[in-house]
Amino acid sequence: MTRYALRRLAQSVAVLLGVSVLVFAIMQLVPGDPIRAALGQQADPETYQALRDRAGLDDPVPVQFVTWIGNAAVGDFGVSFRSGETVLSLILERVPATLSLAVAAIIVALLIAIPLGTLSALNPRKPVDWFASLSSQAGLSVPDFWLGIMLILVFAGTLGWLPSAGYVPLTEDPVEWARHLILPAITAGVSSGAILTRFVRSSVLESLGQDHVRTARAKGMRARDVLTWHVLRNALVPLVTVGGVQLAYLLSGVVVVEYVFAWPGLGQLAFQAVESRDYPVLQGAVLLFAVIFLLVNLVVDLAYARLDPRITYRSAR
Amino acid sequence: MGADMNRGKVRGHAVALAAIALVSAGCGGGDDVDLDDPQGSGGGQGGDDQGDGQSGDGGTLVAAISAQPDQFDPHKTQAYASFQVLENVYDTLVVPDAEGEFQPSLATEWTTSDDGLTWTFTLREGVTFHDGSAFDSADVVYSYNRIIDEQLANAYRFASVASVEATDPQTVTITLTEPTPALLDNIGGFKGMSIIPEGAAEATDLATTAVGTGPFTLEDAGANGVTLARYDDYWGDPALVDGVEFQYVSEPAAALTALRSGDVHWTDNVPPQDIEGLRDDEQVELGVTPSVDYWYLAMNQTKPPFDNRDFRRGVAFGIDRDEVTEAARFGAATTNQTAIPEQSRWFHEYAPFEHDPDQATQLIEQTAAQSPQPMALMVTDEYPETVQAAQVIQAQLAEVGVEIGIEQEAFATWLDRQAAGDYDAFLLGWLGNLDPFGFYHAQHVCEGTSNFQGYCNPEVDSLLQSAAGETDQDARKALYDQAAELIVDDVSYLYLYNPDVVQAWAPGIEGYEIRADKAINFETVRLPE
Repeated sequence: MTRYALRRLAQSVAVLLGVSVLVFAIMQLVPGDPIRAALGQQADPETYQALRDRAGLDDPVPVQFVTWIGNAAVGDFGVSFRSGETVLSLILERVPATLSLAVAAIIVALLIAIPLGTLSALNPRKPVDWFASLSSQAGLSVPDFWLGIMLILVFAGTLGWLPSAGYVPLTEDPVEWARHLILPAITAGVSSGAILTRFVRSSVLESLGQDHVRTARAKGMRARDVLTWHVLRNALVPLVTVGGVQLAYLLSGVVVVEYVFAWPGLGQLAFQAVESRDYPVLQGAVLLFAVIFLLVNLVVDLAYARLDPRITYRSAR
Repeated sequence: MGADMNRGKVRGHAVALAAIALVSAGCGGGDDVDLDDPQGSGGGQGGDDQGDGQSGDGGTLVAAISAQPDQFDPHKTQAYASFQVLENVYDTLVVPDAEGEFQPSLATEWTTSDDGLTWTFTLREGVTFHDGSAFDSADVVYSYNRIIDEQLANAYRFASVASVEATDPQTVTITLTEPTPALLDNIGGFKGMSIIPEGAAEATDLATTAVGTGPFTLEDAGANGVTLARYDDYWGDPALVDGVEFQYVSEPAAALTALRSGDVHWTDNVPPQDIEGLRDDEQVELGVTPSVDYWYLAMNQTKPPFDNRDFRRGVAFGIDRDEVTEAARFGAATTNQTAIPEQSRWFHEYAPFEHDPDQATQLIEQTAAQSPQPMALMVTDEYPETVQAAQVIQAQLAEVGVEIGIEQEAFATWLDRQAAGDYDAFLLGWLGNLDPFGFYHAQHVCEGTSNFQGYCNPEVDSLLQSAAGETDQDARKALYDQAAELIVDDVSYLYLYNPDVVQAWAPGIEGYEIRADKAINFETVRLPE
């Protein structure tokens, strides 16, 4: 298993290298000059040229790439064109907020998906099932920004129970942290929850039809125990995969939710970087997202072996 | 140090290290990263201690601004969000009052030599920076030379400056190559010309910290917001509130809900379409005042038929400014056929274009290359009002023989195409000008750095050049008035309107002044009990 993990890690490095080449190339193709974007309309030609020189933007593209990758290899991801801060500090600063929101949102999603999906699988083509598929359809169709604004208007405006926007670090005030987290987590969690609900439903249905479940029932096991020990345990293994992908997606920033709730996460950072053609920040962010996806996938694959002893990893060739 | 990147040496083959570094970047520290050491390298400042000082509980004013500042180096940033914060932290030698007249700030008085080439500024005594160091003429020389020598974004404001010298610790002499009556605007028009302590750029990271002389110190800044604390050794009357907290709230509904529920005290995130609804809202105090900004349409005068003055005049007659303004600003603007708004002392009443579709059709028919004449109109989602205005203009000009194709671009792309001259026409605005030099010069002299439309009228050129050096203010205004009339007649810019500044705050807030230049200053604000 250690060998397997190492091999996966080596593959990941190759993927990351590919991703950075791709990102670099795409940014060269996208129209829009980062220096002009930073200067705005009042770009005096001399200032413009001076800034371009300083940023090394007139070097040949391969030279720029090699310089960047060389620096990145030693942990120097460059300095933002827009703010003059190091890319690493800009990213690190946003990790706690992103982590809080992603974890809270996936919890919301699971709290919706597991009970709802299981209930509807146990009662196929009954009102509960209809309700579940209707609400997961709704959860998928409702736009994030609309749901977010509605939640703000109701819970922060009319009822006044929760703050309307903003983020408080956990280390500063845990209660306020939680209060600020609720609405964004629900908004981000609903669509993931909707996706996962359908997944849980079909997965549980599949498990229910399997032989060992029939056997367990036949030998007179209590329905609740059958469900817990024979159905859910099996049904939830694939959920780890899909849930992992959802978590990775949430970790790479939910731009719209962050925008609506003024949440200082990675999505906003990447979005701003795109808007201002802030190449170093964008490269750093995309690379980080790639790392997140690779890592989450790795963890998911390794977790499989734990959850399902039948799966082992040998050097499959 | 801002743009000084990509200078590191290339060290190959350590790709694996990169991956490991990234892994730790992504998943390692769950702690909140404190980017700032507000103490800088100077140490010893007293802003944060809310317990000491004269008045302990002025409270903290919470302001919701619509965007995040990009950085806090006043000489480098061009972002309005940054200046909203910096306005409260830094000072300039002179400062515009609400009417746009320049008043003493770090300079108490100034004189101009008879030839207009030497300006002597007497500096205020007893001023200290937030790091405790004393302010004197060396700081002014350092600050201005930094902008000039490093060719920073505002270097153009010193175009006519030959030297900046410290005559003695309390006196600064600025020598010019030609008379520059707009000098006060150039050095004090906004906080981009702030005075920083000598050597500050080398000693601290000005992008993330601030060492100013203003009423508040920058305590903490990050992705989550900005915290300011009252500077008790401020040279003016100390601020009434203990501190200011800026939050970035991009979504207007969230900002207004936060204002209504008392989570924030002030916001400028009020879209024009919400103004009517807020007028009768008792939970919100609404401030609306005309701004110094202006929005305009420009046609590419290097391209036929837009190079033809009569064609451009036809377009000018074909546009109904009232309708455009209503659509773009929901009426929260004043139509204007020149650049300078009517409350300015430099305003010149001149409005030769009545909406006249018949005359428009005639002029366009005579000069167009084809019928209907296609004209691509470049707008940007960065400023949604340009998109809304373009739709109305499209409908209006369709009736007079011009077929508008709206091209909506990201602002970075928009700017690229403007600079490359790759457009038929565009819509945009200029923000924050006070002096007529700023309103007209670089945009309309033949070789002007902002003359992207390719306008060149020798008569306007000579009027603008003489106005730039005319020291008698009345004579100067007369020159600008003449130039403005020609610019309007030639349709170098097709001026549309001056928008209103719209801000909202909690009822009971006292001492806040909404300003035409959109500078926001919380120095004199008092929170409700």
